[in-house]
Amino acid sequence: MNSLLLDLALLLMVFAMIPCVYRTIKGPTIPDRVIAVDAMTTVIVVMLGVYSFVQGSVFFMDVALVLSIISFVGTVTISKYLDEGVVL
Amino acid sequence: MSDISNVLEILGNIVLIIGLIFVSLGMLGLLRLPDVYNRMHATTKIGTLGAFGVMLSILLKVGFTPMGVKALTVGLFLLLTAPIAAHMIGRAAHRHGVKLCKESIIDEYGKSYK
Repeated sequence: MNSLLLDLALLLMVFAMIPCVYRTIKGPTIPDRVIAVDAMTTVIVVMLGVYSFVQGSVFFMDVALVLSIISFVGTVTISKYLDEGVVL
Repeated sequence: MSDISNVLEILGNIVLIIGLIFVSLGMLGLLRLPDVYNRMHATTKIGTLGAFGVMLSILLKVGFTPMGVKALTVGLFLLLTAPIAAHMIGRAAHRHGVKLCKESIIDEYGKSYK
């Protein structure tokens, strides 16, 4: 039961990657692509958390923490660039 | 002792299923909704409820081991920063000139700075 649910979670994360890639390629404006990449990073973070529990290893959780921080900083940077035309 | 462990296991499975349901609904919204702002409304739920639910279920399954504490840290970080990122990109999109969809009936932020 436990292993089946975790495998199902990993499979759902893989299928949840498809709308993000579709919206990143097709999205009509730049903010569409930004929020699609942000959602894809969140899905990868969730996948790394579940995979860390499945493997029994702590190190994938460090990768998830660093990836979430990089995603937040990237989104804030792109939104400041769209808003004001400069980054800093 | 074994009773409490079983209860935490079942509770973790329930929270994991809730998180997976929110991730699925957010992806459906990203695929189908008509507008940048509507899509952002859907995908912020992945960052807050979906990711925090999955990380909380990992914490409930393993307890306060290093993996559980790191999972709680990742969940709380996403719970704090996903609304901030969505707010900033929504404001930037509106000021950049992205139009609302045709079914919108009110645009108070557009009236406020014009």
